[in-house]
Amino acid sequence: MHHLKIIGAFLKISSQAELAYRVNFWIRLLHSLLNLVTGVLSLVVIFNQVEVIRGWDMPGALAILGVYLLLGALRSLFIGPSLESVAGMDGEIWTGTYDFTLLRPLDQQFLISFRHWRIFAFVDFTMALGVLIYAQILLDTQLSLAMVLSFTLMLLAAVTLLYAVLLAFSALVFWNPGFLFTWVINDLFQLARYPVGLYPGWLRLMLTWIIPVGLMTTIPAQALVGTLTPWMLVLTLAFTIGTFLLATWLFRQGLKKYASASS
Amino acid sequence: MNHRGGWELIKNTWQSWIQHRGFFFLLAFGWMLPLLVYLFIWSAAAGEGTIAGLTQEKLAGYYLILILVNQLTYATTNWTVGDHIRLGQISRWLLQPMSPIYHAISQEIAGKVVFMLFSVPITGLLALIIRPQINLSWQQGLLFVPAITLAWGLRFFWGYWLALLAFWATRADSLLALQDTMIFLLGGHLAPISLLPRGMQILALVLPFRYMSAFPVEVLTGQLDRGETLVGFIIQLGWTITAVALYRLVWTRGVRRYEAIGG
Repeated sequence: MHHLKIIGAFLKISSQAELAYRVNFWIRLLHSLLNLVTGVLSLVVIFNQVEVIRGWDMPGALAILGVYLLLGALRSLFIGPSLESVAGMDGEIWTGTYDFTLLRPLDQQFLISFRHWRIFAFVDFTMALGVLIYAQILLDTQLSLAMVLSFTLMLLAAVTLLYAVLLAFSALVFWNPGFLFTWVINDLFQLARYPVGLYPGWLRLMLTWIIPVGLMTTIPAQALVGTLTPWMLVLTLAFTIGTFLLATWLFRQGLKKYASASS
Repeated sequence: MNHRGGWELIKNTWQSWIQHRGFFFLLAFGWMLPLLVYLFIWSAAAGEGTIAGLTQEKLAGYYLILILVNQLTYATTNWTVGDHIRLGQISRWLLQPMSPIYHAISQEIAGKVVFMLFSVPITGLLALIIRPQINLSWQQGLLFVPAITLAWGLRFFWGYWLALLAFWATRADSLLALQDTMIFLLGGHLAPISLLPRGMQILALVLPFRYMSAFPVEVLTGQLDRGETLVGFIIQLGWTITAVALYRLVWTRGVRRYEAIGG
């Protein structure tokens, strides 16, 4: 309860700060629309040439795009801004202002994960839901309760996985403060736009098990399309928990390395 | 006009960028990824056969060259011009006995060198894995030189005049995001122009964006016949002259309007 209240306070402060910049709203809207239009138009161009690529057709790929946009929206809602402020460009670990964060009487990992919010991401979230609903209409399959449940569960797993990977890469900044590790993930995340099965074997393996950005969108989309096996569902859950624990451990280790920075 | 000062500036900037290569390698990595995504998607679509006459090997050749051409023509500096105007840093440059465009050009040259230090070895490595097929002839090589020079000039001046709109509007950099989107859609990134639907193909041939990135690649890989090449060069030259004219117009008007604030 206490933690929820703190999140509420963070959310309020962040949104007040954000709402002060009104022109920014329109510019963000333009960027979101560009992102949506390029995403959908890319699929139109691709599936104008071929009907099916390695078992994926237009509705399936659209479902992937929906999940990708949804994850992107959740990332920019709080995971991204919070972790970027610590480990991103001119982040606290680099400038040494992390000292002040350390002094707060709160669990460090909780604090750095939920501190900054960007409420505009709700617009992206709505657009992503729209894409998912449209994909569902095109898919024309009867949605069962089990499918909706497994989709929701896999989506939660995907968000957790995304968070864990970003946390792990943020933690690496403790060892090498000059390098923008989170940018590497942001770059690689673009690969999650398309089904991981479309990539060559070596890349597929890497995107599934090493830097699991492919897993994050393909698995929930498979749950929606109805091709996800129960075995894969359990494996994904176990993998997510494992990655989360590993990332938490890495962050704790990194925290011990922190030695501030002088001016 | 003092060209010697300009040359010294170019040398200095180059040396300072080399020091920060880690950051620029990361940027180069980020630009490379979307192109790799579409290389893999189209390769998967082509399978063992061809797609619109292109085999996997030819697609690989097209995209690997496009990765290099894109980085050679991408004008990173355009993104900072607006900031310099907004924050008043441009005042200092206006007092120097040379045109402020030298600052942009010196950063351009420094950038190209640093980006190539990263991209050439990486694309070389990728070429070993995915085995592209590129038929080079010396005529194509000769034509490639003016094609890429004009492509760089067009992309640089087009972005520069857009960025200079910061004299009037604070968030003119959004127009640069729009330019990037158009290059993605119509500049041969999403798909080689020949794979686009008819309507988009016509737009690509008429608008300036293809001539900023895909055109030199098409010239080098021999995708165009003599007539198409000639028409391409005429349109490219026309747009480049337009871009330079727009730059001069916006610059002279804007700089008269410019007024520094603060100190």
